[in-house]
Amino acid sequence: MQYPDNGAFMVAAYVITAVVVVAYAVSLFVRLRNVK
Amino acid sequence: MTPRDRALTFARRGTLLTGAMLVALAGVYVRALMFTPIERFQGPAQKIFYVHAPAAWSALLAFAVTGILSILYLWLRDRRLDVAAAASAEVGVAFSMVMLTTGPIWGKPIWGTWWTWDARLTSTLFIFLLFVGYMVLRGALTDPEVRARYSAVIGIMGLVLVPFIHFTVFLFRTLHPDPVLMKPEKPSLPGDMLLTLLVSFGVFTLLYVGFLTQRYALGLLRELRDEEMAHAVS
Repeated sequence: MQYPDNGAFMVAAYVITAVVVVAYAVSLFVRLRNVK
Repeated sequence: MTPRDRALTFARRGTLLTGAMLVALAGVYVRALMFTPIERFQGPAQKIFYVHAPAAWSALLAFAVTGILSILYLWLRDRRLDVAAAASAEVGVAFSMVMLTTGPIWGKPIWGTWWTWDARLTSTLFIFLLFVGYMVLRGALTDPEVRARYSAVIGIMGLVLVPFIHFTVFLFRTLHPDPVLMKPEKPSLPGDMLLTLLVSFGVFTLLYVGFLTQRYALGLLRELRDEEMAHAVS
């Protein structure tokens, strides 16, 4: 089956989601470690 | 159990839950990208929906929780409610960043434009900026009571916006698709896609809980540190 060729947009969205979520998780981890 | 022990327990549990949900999020990626069919008309870009919609849900949930905790703070004047409201606001801003970046990335191939100033997109951007302002305000005010009271008012304004944002697609002519799950009729997705979306919603919701618990613990520990420093000075 033929699909629109827009896989790069999908990859970009998933990469950005992972970067934001992981960066926020790391920021929480580091800030908690520093305040303890 | 001392307040410090309680905060450390929150920190430990939040970190565990967040860690587990990051692993689960990797599972969502595998399921969405490899085991969920490609939609015929939108192509692979449709799969952005599996991260965009749950991130939007978590962001609006976080802002709604901030608003509810703000009301409770103004009523009960318990500082822990203010700390929890601020924690939820920060987590909401993080999820909003996912929502506001993945949305335009989906919009470009499907609508032909990154952004349009319609009611849904504009109100979503507005609530994001409102809570960025909330965080800036908290950083600028040093008196804890004043900070809590002023930021509670902004938190309640955000809570008022949340149902408005949900209903914008029904109230206005907008390019944004109607809700797939939160509507009176049955979900309008084939089984495989619906399962992926539901799993992603579950993971993002628990990720919100994990982040919130960690951020709440951080707020409590900062309050304790500030109190100790104030005692030391006096």
